[in-house]
Amino acid sequence: MSEIDFQQLVDRYYAPLYRFALSLSRSEVDAADLTQQTFFLWASKGNQLRDRSKARSWLFTTLYREFLSRRRHEVCFPKVELDDVREQEMSISPTVNAFDRATVLQALREVEEPFRAPLTLFYLEQFSYQEIADVLEVPAGTVMSRLSRGKALLRQRLLSKKEVLENKVVAFQSDKGKESHG
Amino acid sequence: MDNREAKFILNAYRPGGQDASDPRFADALEQARRDPILERWFSESIAFDAAMTEKLRAAEVPPDLRETILAGVKASRPLRWSKPFIKLAIAAALISMAILSSLIWHETRRAPLAEWQNQALDVVSSLVRNESSFDAQSHNADELLVWLRANHAPAAQKLPDNLGKLESIGCKTFSWNGIPVSVICFMRRDGGLIHLVTMNASAASDRAIRRKANLVQRGDWSTATWREGDIIYMLALEGSPDQLRTYLL
Repeated sequence: MSEIDFQQLVDRYYAPLYRFALSLSRSEVDAADLTQQTFFLWASKGNQLRDRSKARSWLFTTLYREFLSRRRHEVCFPKVELDDVREQEMSISPTVNAFDRATVLQALREVEEPFRAPLTLFYLEQFSYQEIADVLEVPAGTVMSRLSRGKALLRQRLLSKKEVLENKVVAFQSDKGKESHG
Repeated sequence: MDNREAKFILNAYRPGGQDASDPRFADALEQARRDPILERWFSESIAFDAAMTEKLRAAEVPPDLRETILAGVKASRPLRWSKPFIKLAIAAALISMAILSSLIWHETRRAPLAEWQNQALDVVSSLVRNESSFDAQSHNADELLVWLRANHAPAAQKLPDNLGKLESIGCKTFSWNGIPVSVICFMRRDGGLIHLVTMNASAASDRAIRRKANLVQRGDWSTATWREGDIIYMLALEGSPDQLRTYLL
C-alpha cells in the first residue's frame, strides 16, 4: 500500500475508530492510543489483507481485539450474565436530543461492555448485524440479542440520568421554599 | 411472529434504511405495517437510533490524532538512506573508528559509572563496531523521538541545542534489569559519533544524579550524565570531556 493510500485510509477511519475506542475504554488517552496502535498494526500486518474492501472490518476487529487484550491485564470488569439483563419496557423512550453529547456518551459507556461494543458499531458506522458479527467474531443471532438488550440498557441509563437531572431541580426548589418560609 | 419477536429483530434494523431489502427483516417489517402499536414503537425506535447516531458522531476527536498516527507509522517503517554516499561515509567512519580504537587501546581504570551506564556504553560500542543494528534509522532525530515514543521507549523531551543541530543515524532500545533504555546516535561534524542515552528517572537506581551534568571519563569514552524532570540523560562520545562539553550547550 502506498503512502497516499495509507493516508486516505487514516483520513477515512481515524475518527470513527477513535469514537469506537472512546466508547470501549475509560479515557480519551486510552482511546487515542488504541486508535494509533490499530494503524500501527495495519502498517505492519494489514498489507497481508488481499481484499481491500474488508479494510474497515479489519480495522474495527483489530481495535476490538487490542482492547480485549489490554483489558485482560487490567482489573476484571464485573461479569454480566447476558441472560440476566431484564428487557425494559420498550414504550419508555427518553428523548435523546434532550441530552448533550457528553451525557449520551457517558450513558453509553455505562452500558456493560458485551452490549456496548455492538451498540457503538451499530450507531457510529451503521454496521449491519452481520458486519458486527464479523468484527466481534460472534454469531449474528448473538449480535441481535445484544443489540436488543443493549438498547434497553442504554434507555435505562438515559432515564436514570434524566431522573438525576430532575431531582436536582426539585432539591433546588425545595431549598428555595425553605428560605421563603424561614 | 408476535410483537416481542418482531421488536427483537427490528432492533437490529439500521435507521438509515440500508436493511430494507434484507429478507431477515421482511416478516418483522410486515408485522409493523399491520400492527399500529408495533408501528409506533418502530418509528420511535428508529428516531431514537438516528438521534444516538448523530450524538455519537459528534464526539470530538483530538485535533492532533491524525498527524500523530501518520508520523508514528512513518517513523516505525524501516527507513532508507536518502543519499548512498552518506551511507558509505558513515560506514567508513565506523570502520575507521573501530580500527583506531583497537590500535590506541590501552588499559584504563574503571571509572565510577553506574551499572546501567556501563551497559549503555557496551550497547553503543556494539553499534559502533557494527556488531548490532539500529531498531530504526533516520537522519532526522525528531522522527526517531516519535518512533521511540510510539514504541513506549524513553525519549528526550527536548534535545540540547547543539546536539539537535546534528544529523542523526539511528536509535536502539534495550533493557537494563528489565527497565527500558534508549539510545540515539548522531554524526558529529568532525566525522565522529556522539550518543544520547535516555532512561526514566524513577527507574534509575542512582539517585545522586543532578540537573547539572556530571562529566566522567572511562577509557576512551567521555560521558556526561544529568537529570531533567523524570528523565535521566547520558551523552557519550569517544573523545575528550572538552569535546563533549560543546554538545551540552
